[in-house]
Amino acid sequence: MTEEKELVERLSVGDPAAFRELVEAYKKKMYFFALDMVGDPADAEDISQEVFLKAFRGVRTFKRDARLGSWLYRIAYNTSVDHLRRRPLTPEAMEDAVLDSGCDGFRELPPSDPARTAETRLLGVRVERALQNVSDRERTVFLLRHYGDLRLDEIAETMQISVGSVKSYLFRCLRKLRKEFSWPGTPRPLEVSDERL
Amino acid sequence: MKGCKKFRGLIIEALGEKLDPETTSFFEAHIRSCSRCAAEFSGLDEMLKAMDKRFRRDPGREFWDGYWDRLSRRLEMEKAAAEYAPGAPRKWLGRLAGGTRRWAFRAGAAVVLIAAGIIIGRAVFSRRPLPIEALRPAGEAPGGQPAATDPILRARSYVDRSKLVLLALVNYVPPAADPHALDLSLEKQVSRELVRQAGGLKSDLKGPARRRLRELVTDLETVLLQISNLESPDDFEAVEFVKQGVESRGIFLKINLSEMGGDLSFSGREPAPEKAPSQKIKT
Repeated sequence: MTEEKELVERLSVGDPAAFRELVEAYKKKMYFFALDMVGDPADAEDISQEVFLKAFRGVRTFKRDARLGSWLYRIAYNTSVDHLRRRPLTPEAMEDAVLDSGCDGFRELPPSDPARTAETRLLGVRVERALQNVSDRERTVFLLRHYGDLRLDEIAETMQISVGSVKSYLFRCLRKLRKEFSWPGTPRPLEVSDERL
Repeated sequence: MKGCKKFRGLIIEALGEKLDPETTSFFEAHIRSCSRCAAEFSGLDEMLKAMDKRFRRDPGREFWDGYWDRLSRRLEMEKAAAEYAPGAPRKWLGRLAGGTRRWAFRAGAAVVLIAAGIIIGRAVFSRRPLPIEALRPAGEAPGGQPAATDPILRARSYVDRSKLVLLALVNYVPPAADPHALDLSLEKQVSRELVRQAGGLKSDLKGPARRRLRELVTDLETVLLQISNLESPDDFEAVEFVKQGVESRGIFLKINLSEMGGDLSFSGREPAPEKAPSQKIKT
């Protein structure tokens, strides 16, 4: 029995320690996924906690042959979508939320390399903007694939769509991102909204 | 170029997963022969590698250390809320009921609700009831028999009915009672009827032996006339005036005296005339 299956077994009998293990293993992934989806750190924590509460309540509905991560991402996806429906945000508002929250979207670099820090900060803002300029489904597929490390079939299961649709969304998203980034090539010059950095 | 369509179908998989050996060989061969597909693949690959460097600023160790505690508190709050939720008592009742049929509970609840409605309705909307004697027309005896022609019997009925009307009025205390409960329409109706009877009754109560009874009927007639002339249903001042009149005339005292003194006792014959003062026989 694999470690994950063992964890699922313990969860299904209501083992509190197993639930804590699940939370510790996935809390960062759920938080960052929610943050990418909704753009606000406080909402992201709220959504990530909601994911675990739903998982706790619905562990008996979990299919034993599925992956825990895939299942949790599906809950996170649905919870985030519900959240966005209740409080729709425009791309501009999302960007403002990201900038106002102080999340520059990139790992902090050593202060000894200010040029690289500035470049990375700029890239971070552009990633955020690029992700907000694609459709919700394209962004979700991209996030699940490249930050959730889910396989194509797992994404399809998570979003209740076909694998072909997943490929289609992902390809369209990558092309839009590439266009947004003008990749390869030099980064675009800073725009007015970027000056707040 | 041949194979470009198939190649683009594989780009997505190649960017995130390992391809099987056969597909890998096709993929690599196409990249070597098609510069356009090679450029697209390398461009996307570089972009993703750059985006992979993206790393959210971590909320901090304190945030992650307290994450479980915050989640646990929320879980406990949800459990507590679920226990006190509106559905909780229903579940508890359901468990208590065991195998009892649901329709039996519903029928029982309906009966209880109807009974409660009747009780509340009677308490809130009912008038102060008058005894049946007060409602009975003056010319009708109990059992629908024609009224007695004996003036004493008529006087007794008259006094009894008048007493009920006056008691209803006197026992009404505005500061303690609900002002909206003051509905004297029935009392006024009975009073008017009694006032109409008073004249005939007084003329029938002849003789000195019935003087006290005749005076009582006269006093009652005066008070009943005041009651029948009340205009506004919430004229508390007029009600107070009538109550003072009842008290100043000593109406209830007179009624009690008439009852105790036998004025209202039916003997079947005219009471004996009052005796004249006895004269001492001189011997």
